[in-house]
Amino acid sequence: MLIDQILLQIFYKLNNERTINAAYHLLRGKRSGQTIQDVGLFKLYPYFGILRKLAKPSFDDGVSRLVDRDLLKVEESGYFTVTSAGHDELKKLEIPFYDGWHYRGNEHVFFARLSLIIQTLSYQTAGHKYFLPVQRDEQTQAWCRGFLMDTQFHRQTLQEPLYEEMLSTLENAHLSEQQRQLVLNRLSGAHVAGVAWQQMSVQWQLPELDCQLLFISALHSWLEEIRQQQPFYLSKMTGDIRVENVLTGSAYQTAQLYMQGYTLEQISHMRQLKMSTIEDHIVELAMNEPHFDIRFFVKEADELAVQEATQTYMTKKLKVLREVLPHLSYFQIRLALARGEE
Amino acid sequence: MLESMLKQHFGYDTFRPGQKEIISSLLEGKDCIALLPTGMGKSLCYQLPGYLLPHPVLVISPLLSLMQDQVDQLKMRGEKRVIALNSFLSMREKQDVLSFLSHYRFIFTSPEMLMQPQVRHAIEQMTFSLIVADEAHCISQWGFDFRPDYLRIGEIQWKKPRPPVLALTATATGSVVQDIVQYLKMDAPYRFIHDVNRSNIKLAKVMFAQKEEKITWLLEHVSATAGPGIVYCSSRKKCEEISLKMLERGIVAASYHGGKDAEDRQFIQQQFLQGELEWIVATNAFGMGVHKENVRQVIHESMPANISNYMQEVGRAGRDGQQALAILLYADGDEHFAHYIATEDLPKQHHVEQFVYYIETGQQPEQMLQNAEISETGFRVLSYWLQQEPPSAVKQRLTKMMQEKDTEVGRMLALILQEHCMRERLVQYFGQNLSLQEGACCTNCGLRIKDFLLERQQGKTVNVEDWRKRLRKLLFGAP
Ligand SMILES: [Zn+2]
Repeated sequence: MLIDQILLQIFYKLNNERTINAAYHLLRGKRSGQTIQDVGLFKLYPYFGILRKLAKPSFDDGVSRLVDRDLLKVEESGYFTVTSAGHDELKKLEIPFYDGWHYRGNEHVFFARLSLIIQTLSYQTAGHKYFLPVQRDEQTQAWCRGFLMDTQFHRQTLQEPLYEEMLSTLENAHLSEQQRQLVLNRLSGAHVAGVAWQQMSVQWQLPELDCQLLFISALHSWLEEIRQQQPFYLSKMTGDIRVENVLTGSAYQTAQLYMQGYTLEQISHMRQLKMSTIEDHIVELAMNEPHFDIRFFVKEADELAVQEATQTYMTKKLKVLREVLPHLSYFQIRLALARGEE
Repeated sequence: MLESMLKQHFGYDTFRPGQKEIISSLLEGKDCIALLPTGMGKSLCYQLPGYLLPHPVLVISPLLSLMQDQVDQLKMRGEKRVIALNSFLSMREKQDVLSFLSHYRFIFTSPEMLMQPQVRHAIEQMTFSLIVADEAHCISQWGFDFRPDYLRIGEIQWKKPRPPVLALTATATGSVVQDIVQYLKMDAPYRFIHDVNRSNIKLAKVMFAQKEEKITWLLEHVSATAGPGIVYCSSRKKCEEISLKMLERGIVAASYHGGKDAEDRQFIQQQFLQGELEWIVATNAFGMGVHKENVRQVIHESMPANISNYMQEVGRAGRDGQQALAILLYADGDEHFAHYIATEDLPKQHHVEQFVYYIETGQQPEQMLQNAEISETGFRVLSYWLQQEPPSAVKQRLTKMMQEKDTEVGRMLALILQEHCMRERLVQYFGQNLSLQEGACCTNCGLRIKDFLLERQQGKTVNVEDWRKRLRKLLFGAP
């Protein structure tokens, strides 16, 4: 199962240094400092928030399957080890593309818009003005109404260019034929009913959750292609979908002040926040902004020393690294780790 | 002439049973209780007056999905002056709507919304032509869908003279009708009760000693006989399990329940309406707002919790007037599960103590909800009554409600076990008499299932087109 592969990959990257539940929070895209930092520290960007509604039992089932197959050992404390069989399995993984970090569930917002617009155009072609909208969410409906007004859809000239755009982007995106089919199966219109998850699951002999995971991956790949090609109508639908400013609200404010030239002490004073919090923000900035220069805080030699230590001791545990490199502060070690290679 | 108005506004030539009488009495200014099954033109009873009377019609509907459904249907018919005043509106939108309220022809709202001071104030200033309480059985604590907020409708000070009130309900027993009249403060209402008997639906039951035998029988049955049909199950898990087994046998089936995402539910509904599915395997979440005329079979895999539910679900068969069959499968002991389902949502005695404890210790009783210690319905019922009565009285009330549910399950069981004509007993339950006795009208009268069903046509499959073709079909229609 795809979910098992993804879980194994996450557990491997977490390097036995977190409990099982860290993976659960990651998949659900929990917006806590810990989870966000884990994303950067363990380079888990692809999987952040790809299953926002993942139920705990489904997650637990996946973990149990890994344990049953001897790929994973879980201790009572919740800590775990990827077994040697697990490491062998890692080489065989076939996980499709994800960019959870930048889409964060917004891919569903895009698809909700698209499905309502396609449905409207479909009924327009069929000559029906009224139909049961496939999206009941008022916000989505309002957005689509605006889009259709702006594009003068009443002239019935939207169908042709949108068809061209969808065909071209779907064909060029890195997608399997199955994924393209999946995307179209989830659209509906006049005389064309959508296909339910259970139905695809039976047809393809795949668990429902895997179908959903393939769908999410398809949306991420497709959105990337739309970003590259920038076709007129699809770009309008996706303009605000990708999260460009990935920092949390508070970290963003700190980052703004830092860019304006204030020191960490000044920011701490201005924002009435503890120094440790401001340091958290800077670490978050370093993790998420590849061009951020950490030299002001960490010398190149020290950065290399941290990276060497992680290799030698096979760990990213701060406590261990601090013991090995006592002349560096936790803050400096974290910054160096943030810059670490994948 | 009402008929010409009907033709002009709705395009129909004739009224369905009851509609004309109900509308006439409303136009005369009389209150009215209408017992009409869903799909039998309930909504026309207030929609036509909406075009004939000068002021807006206020429709109070306790179920959000149902409200949205009716709004959508009106919009589909091209009516623009319709609004749903519900919790989905933002603060701004709500204020906008409230200040233009009198511009609408149809205003839909929920009991909860109506009790918001701002909304209530606006409503009490307004002149309406008609007030409609949809799903009025929800006002009765004996109803299976009790909504405490519905009781408070009686507190509203309508602008004098108060317009007529129309209470609509699909099924209700005598005690429920009494509650409706009392709580809605209705004035000697005209009562229309539809003929409960649907003679084109044959009633069958099949008895089993073991639960497992039901599934085996069901699978054989659906492999051999023609749909389209609905199988009603009591749990989501059962729906999944049975639909999968049907699919494995090459039967085009789909499951439908509240645990599916909204898109899936709509996809399956559309497939069913378009005739692409042989069977829908569903919980009682399926059916409301679904208007399919040619359902040939309704099968109850699990025993319904009361006769009203049974009647309502059976009534989804044969809306086209053609022959249809309802089959109830019963295995020894099914009533225990029916009882469990019926009382699952009811608050229990210990919930009362817990609620009181939270209040006394200065905590929020809503924690019970967050900790999933009580259902939402249960919490609503509990918090309403604890505001009205001391805990001891609430406990007594809960015991009584539990007994009532018990009695309902017992009545359903008796209907299954007894040996007289099922149709006659069913009709009597709703206080009516069978007008015409037919031959093989039910299992107890000698009906044989096989005589009434068409053979299943083999080779039906779900046909999903290649994605490119599908995209073309969506945007440009059939090739
Ligand atoms: Zn009979």
